[in-house]
Amino acid sequence: MDEYDEMYGIEDDFEQQFADELEVMAEMDREHPPGVKVSEFRSKKPISQTFEEAIVSGDVPLRKSVNNQHPESISPPVCEEEESLTPKPKKRRQDVVKKLQFGVENCDDITPPSSPEVYDRPARDGPGFSLSLSPDRSAATKITTNVLDISGLTALQKSPKQVTTARHAQKRPPAIGDYITVTDSMGNRVYLNKKEDKEKAPDPRAFRNSLNGLGLLAVPIEVLKEQIAERRHRQVLEESQRLTELMNSGISPELLAEEQKDSGVDGDSGEDEGLSSRLWVDQFSPQHYTDLLSDDFTNRCLLKWLKLWDTVVFGRERKPRSTPADVRSNFTNAQNQNQSQRFKTKSQMTEEILEAELDQYKRPKFKVALLSGPPGLGKTTLAHIIAKHAGYNVVEINASDDRSAELFQKRIDTATQMKSVLGANEKPNCLIIDEIDGAPAAAINILLATLNRKDSREGEESGGNALKKRKKKQSVLLRPIICICNDLYVPALRPLRQQAFLLTFPQTLPSRLAQRLAEITRRHGMKADTGTLMALCEKTDNDIRACINTLQFLHSRGQKHLDQRSVNSISVGLKDQNKGLFSVWQEIFQLPRLKRKRIGGDSFGGFDEAGPKDGTQRLQHILHLVSSNGEHEKLTQGLYDNFLSMKLKDPGMLGVCAGLDWMCFSDLLNECVLHGQNYSLMRYFPFLPAAFHHLYAANSVPRINYPHSNYEAFTKTQHTKNALLAMLNDIPPAVQSRISISCLCLDILSLLLDLISPKLRPVNPQLYSTREKQQLYDLIDTMINYNLTYRQDRTPEGQYTYVLEPNVEDVVHFPGLPPRRQLTYQVKQLIARETELERMRRVERAQQKRNSQKTETVKKDQEGKKTEVKKQTNRNHQQRLENIVKQTVVESRPELDFFGRAIVPKEKPAVTTTSEDGKGGGVVHIGKAVGNSDVWFRFNEGVSNAVRRNVYIRELL
Amino acid sequence: MVQIVISSKAGEGPAEWLLVELQGEVVSRQNTGLAGNLMGDLHYTKEGVPVLIVGHHILYGKQVKLEKPFETMETNQENPTSYTVSALIKKKLIFKTRPKPIITNVPKKV
Repeated sequence: MDEYDEMYGIEDDFEQQFADELEVMAEMDREHPPGVKVSEFRSKKPISQTFEEAIVSGDVPLRKSVNNQHPESISPPVCEEEESLTPKPKKRRQDVVKKLQFGVENCDDITPPSSPEVYDRPARDGPGFSLSLSPDRSAATKITTNVLDISGLTALQKSPKQVTTARHAQKRPPAIGDYITVTDSMGNRVYLNKKEDKEKAPDPRAFRNSLNGLGLLAVPIEVLKEQIAERRHRQVLEESQRLTELMNSGISPELLAEEQKDSGVDGDSGEDEGLSSRLWVDQFSPQHYTDLLSDDFTNRCLLKWLKLWDTVVFGRERKPRSTPADVRSNFTNAQNQNQSQRFKTKSQMTEEILEAELDQYKRPKFKVALLSGPPGLGKTTLAHIIAKHAGYNVVEINASDDRSAELFQKRIDTATQMKSVLGANEKPNCLIIDEIDGAPAAAINILLATLNRKDSREGEESGGNALKKRKKKQSVLLRPIICICNDLYVPALRPLRQQAFLLTFPQTLPSRLAQRLAEITRRHGMKADTGTLMALCEKTDNDIRACINTLQFLHSRGQKHLDQRSVNSISVGLKDQNKGLFSVWQEIFQLPRLKRKRIGGDSFGGFDEAGPKDGTQRLQHILHLVSSNGEHEKLTQGLYDNFLSMKLKDPGMLGVCAGLDWMCFSDLLNECVLHGQNYSLMRYFPFLPAAFHHLYAANSVPRINYPHSNYEAFTKTQHTKNALLAMLNDIPPAVQSRISISCLCLDILSLLLDLISPKLRPVNPQLYSTREKQQLYDLIDTMINYNLTYRQDRTPEGQYTYVLEPNVEDVVHFPGLPPRRQLTYQVKQLIARETELERMRRVERAQQKRNSQKTETVKKDQEGKKTEVKKQTNRNHQQRLENIVKQTVVESRPELDFFGRAIVPKEKPAVTTTSEDGKGGGVVHIGKAVGNSDVWFRFNEGVSNAVRRNVYIRELL
Repeated sequence: MVQIVISSKAGEGPAEWLLVELQGEVVSRQNTGLAGNLMGDLHYTKEGVPVLIVGHHILYGKQVKLEKPFETMETNQENPTSYTVSALIKKKLIFKTRPKPIITNVPKKV
């Protein structure tokens, strides 16, 4: 009972939540065969049983009772209406909207005006409905027997119907629009509006085709809707099944029988799910060496390498190689070829490594095998199987384990130095370190240390047999280690790479993979042709695991028959694999290669041939690619830098304009995201690359350059800004107040540079006429005011030039324009010197002006006390010194005694008088200060600290 | 044979003086001569190193025992001329390092 309610409660919720969407969908799809989806999920519920059914079931009295409930409403016409307008819930909504708008006009409408919720609600969870469920009846039986029309239910079905459907019926012919007259069995005539619907439902198909050319949805909306309907259908079925099971546990054998009959349809899928709770990947993982799907050469190499350990691990002597004759001959042939080429192929290098001698502990040269390759190729499987095949007990360290340094050390030690003593088969361990590229560098260093460990007592050990050795030397690594990684070039792996036997996994052959997939599908009773499986392989990039998982997924969803379409439409097999930026750019700018048509592939080639479909698929592909890459900014820069170099076929440059528009859009979007933290907008980022793909993709392989323009522009901006700031900083405030950076570089600078390069004769300024002198003075004045000067610089060729400092010439110089007129070297030199001098002069003047007040006050005192006399003897430097001394004296704070009272300085007048004496004022002043003595000490420097050395005459001769 | 009587003052031993040896000279600032002027202060550090402050110079020296001690004598103008030892000099202070200036008035801002 509860569950029943709950179930409907949920569905009702769904209806409410997605009412808008459903409405729109209904509008768009009005032309669609009526009632497909609606009736599909409706028909399962007792409410939505149509009136025809009710009438057929012959419940006339019931209907009457209903009429009694709503005396005003006219029920019978409803059935006719029902026929013409099937998508009920939407229609209802619509009508409500109508009604709200035209409420005044349709004043004679029969239906009781109410809110839209009221119309929907009673249909679902009206209290009458749930209450009238007879307590003895189980919910499940109601659902399963909805076709049987149990009388108790029909009444319930109808009461809501009454409310919902009688809306179009009017007693008078409507004032506007067409109408249909209907007479019911009672003889009442009503008029049904007709026109409204026509208006409301434009042909959605046409609408969509015109607008929706891009096909932004991967799957058309019709299909989506069907899927939703189907899902709901299944949900209801499952629910019913669950309920029946519940009921079966309790009661009624006859019900049970019924149930079983009913659930027979779905039963097998449930069983299957029970069976396939195990992952197919595990279920079908190869058990033997011969089952392996991966490349034979790789398998063989790894096995050979592992066999090299036999000597030290099992104590077996290595068999002298007896290669089959054909292999040998092949090998020699290849060698002959290579001797001419001088370089060995990679495979031969590998062979050679395997042929190489063992080291002093009879270990192979490389102690570690490092398998690398993209995920899902069976690296781990291979390692496990080969280790088992060679008779080892596999110990695996995974990414899920703790891989901190000390734990790693411990695990390596336990794995390589110990051996299980319990159990029947005591096998030596083989350590497999999976996903080592994720391990911290410290752990890898520990691994390396383990590899390179030397025995301290190796001298005495040289002759000992393997067993003895193992006992004595615990430290030397005597067990094979296999490491597995996806990315061989992780920085942490660099040291390991040099010491490891590298094996790179090639792609699995699609034919082999497809064969295996076919076997799996056959075993699970799925139907799939080879073409489909090949498509699956292609889609997953020959990732075995992804393929099998996809198959299982499809199978668990009850899909027994696989076809090309379903494989292509699902996004299951796609990995969240990061592709490099360059490959992403390349995919954006290059059209995908046309897939070869395969034999018997009429259902197959469908995707490649259909133009728009192909377009949508490409769009989806790019969207997926870009969103999985994630480096949106870099990606966009790359697009920006490269899109002009693509082969553009439009002479009107419309494509370029469109691309730039897209760029602007993306930029706005980015700004919006970053400024407003509106990250939900980020999902629209991938559409820029997609648009670029559609605009510029070509068949030829694009040459893509790494984007530099952004960085260059950035550095240039910095450079310019620095120059401007440097210039602006030292401009006197009077000038600075009127200029800002932008107006400096936009308005002032270009003209200013013209202003400061007047024509001057390159002669000594002494020879200038007064006018020229004035001109020079003005120039220098301007330059100083704008904080400009010339600085001598040495060009790389070794020539000396004068450049502006700060170099604002670059700021206003556009590339491609002729350089502006330059002053000659001499003139610049002259200007630089004069500027410097003028600057010094100004500084001095300013300083003197600042000091003048103080000196004047002091001088007044002096004049008050003494008569002038020695003023003229004060020479320049002396005056300055005096100034300094006075300044220090003046600025020293008045001394305060303990109580904070100022102590009247007594020596001060004496100081000034001594300085007036003019005899090296500073010295006198200081001499008086120390002890006031009239005697001073003059030191005789008579001692030489030079190094003495004996020099003999004979050395000089 | 001339007999010279050298005697010390009765009742007490002769005073002991110190010889001060300077590398350099002491100069009067005003050319008024050294006589009557205070030359400077002599101090000893805790370690017994003599420190002489002359003018704005400070000198560090050391105490050295004279190889041959000196004595100062006073002549008595009597008939047989006799001498009275007024002081003995057994040690000297040598100031031979370069004097260090004492800077008292450091200008705060030049």
